[in-house]
Amino acid sequence: MKLLAKYNWFNLTVTVIIMGFAAIIYYFTIRSILSNQVDKALLVEENEVFNYVKLNKHLPQVFKSNHQQINFTIARQPVTRQFIDTTFLDQKENELEPARAIISKVNVNGENYKILVILSRVETEDLIEVIFIITIGLITILVMALLIINRLILGRIWKPFYQILEQLKLFNLADHKPIHNVSSTIEEFIDLDQAVGAMTLRVKNDYQSLKAFTENASHELMTPIAVINSKLDTLVQTDQFTEKQSKLLNDIYGTVARLTRLNKSMLLLAKIENRMIRDDEDVNMKEIVEECLYQHEEIIQSLNIDLIADLQDKQLHTSKLLMEVLLNNLISNALRHNYANGKITITLQPQQLIISNTGKSTFDIDQVLKRFQKSNESEGIGLGLTICNQICDNYDFKLQYHYINEMHTFSVNF
Amino acid sequence: MVNATIYHRFSPNLTSNFTQKAVKILIVEDETGLRDSIEAYFDEVDCICETACDFNSALAKVSVYRYDCIILDLTLPQGNGLDIIKHLKANQYNDGILIISAKNSLDDRLTGLDLGADDYLTKPFHLSELKARVTAIIRRKSFNGNNALIFNEIYIDLAGKMVKINAQPVKFTRKEYSLLLYFIANKGKVISKNAIAEHLWGDSIDIADNFDFIYSHIKNIRKKLVEAGSNDYIQATYGMGYKFAEA
Repeated sequence: MKLLAKYNWFNLTVTVIIMGFAAIIYYFTIRSILSNQVDKALLVEENEVFNYVKLNKHLPQVFKSNHQQINFTIARQPVTRQFIDTTFLDQKENELEPARAIISKVNVNGENYKILVILSRVETEDLIEVIFIITIGLITILVMALLIINRLILGRIWKPFYQILEQLKLFNLADHKPIHNVSSTIEEFIDLDQAVGAMTLRVKNDYQSLKAFTENASHELMTPIAVINSKLDTLVQTDQFTEKQSKLLNDIYGTVARLTRLNKSMLLLAKIENRMIRDDEDVNMKEIVEECLYQHEEIIQSLNIDLIADLQDKQLHTSKLLMEVLLNNLISNALRHNYANGKITITLQPQQLIISNTGKSTFDIDQVLKRFQKSNESEGIGLGLTICNQICDNYDFKLQYHYINEMHTFSVNF
Repeated sequence: MVNATIYHRFSPNLTSNFTQKAVKILIVEDETGLRDSIEAYFDEVDCICETACDFNSALAKVSVYRYDCIILDLTLPQGNGLDIIKHLKANQYNDGILIISAKNSLDDRLTGLDLGADDYLTKPFHLSELKARVTAIIRRKSFNGNNALIFNEIYIDLAGKMVKINAQPVKFTRKEYSLLLYFIANKGKVISKNAIAEHLWGDSIDIADNFDFIYSHIKNIRKKLVEAGSNDYIQATYGMGYKFAEA
């Protein structure tokens, strides 16, 4: 539930309850005041009857009236003077109206008469109705005004909060965009803004130094690896080796090569994440795909893989190096996880590149995109797809994986 | 070292009285182990190697002597290798320059090449790759790109990427051609399978995948050479690599 909705809900409930109570109290107060007035009018009538009887020594003549009715009956029993609620038959409209009556007695020439004066209350009821409608109208208007004001004021007051929130949502560690200060006059939001700014800065600095460490470590490793490599190259020039020795040397060569590739991949990944590769130029993707296939022609032939390449011209303004890395990794994967007499389809269209291959096992793409995750039979170093994904991220391409018709399918949407 | 000569294709007469001139190479590298290995690898009859281990001694040497190729590390004690390139260019010295750097940073690479370096090689590298690159630079510098490479009966037109054996053209695939050039540049040296794989397929491809293919490429080269009447110069060396040498 949004803050505004929650606040409004609470606010409205309280307002409606209070206003409801007020309306009820109001209603009864007005009703009793008006009842009193009617009672007074009845008393006046009673008084008039008394005065008339006193003066004329007989009962007054009774006229028919719209709202008032006076009855005299001989009282056989003792009559207590009292006010009662009753009904009044409006003879014109022939309907019963609520009414108030007074029962009293008068002594005319020694005979006891019961006086019944009924006064229609239709007018007071009308008045109460009007007052009630006006009150309800007022409540409605008040509630609506509250809603609108809340919306406007809350929207304005909470604007800095939403701005900060928006920035936090867009916050990306690897990104170099700074978090902008949000101006506000409200102390809490100024505090929040400063806390968020300080936090993101600290996190970014930590992340940067971690990355710088990775990069520096990789760099520093390159020189000793270069020395090992060159010493090996020198060693193999020296003398004849036994079969056992040359097997050992081959293993060392292989391991150093692996170490080199691992190190280079880590460096490359750090650089792509830091967006330090900025040699964007017009790149012909078709040429790169063709070159990449040429690089892999031997393995394609040896596995007797059925290669179907449907390549259209596609120009991109990107780093040629990164596109080569991207395609190399995707095509290497398609081959590495393939089997003999398998199939690879490569489609390059203006909107997308699709590489699909037959393959041994299925895998969880989310797992594979994590660093150093690889299938058991893979001889790679487990960074290939992570690098691909990062490259695609950098250029806002979309790398997707699907398993369609028993083909592993990677697509890059440009 | 006798038969490898480089000559200008437009003046073939030079071959007859061409005197073998030794190439001079300066190795600027602060890492002793690497410097020694490079020096040992280049140490041949027709090659004079000098070394410098820091910025100042390198600057002193290039101020006085001219080299066919300078192998230059960029991160040096006392200074940046890029300043040595600037110094050379400011004085209009035409020495070939090959940058070797652990920093595979594109900025360095582009700056280096912009300043006038001829090539850029990232550490770690195989010495055979370094030798091939240096040889290519020296060849380009000496003959302006229009040149041919001759090894006994093998004639390679570098501009046209054509190979002739005993004046008969022989067709090689792109990889075979590249491998043949690599062998000739490293003649007399054992080249490991790793170095060959990296040269042919680059370092982005898993090298172990490709060992079997090296064998078939070499088998093809050998077959083509022999069928065209050339000697078989390629020797397998105890399962570790290959050597291109006079039988």
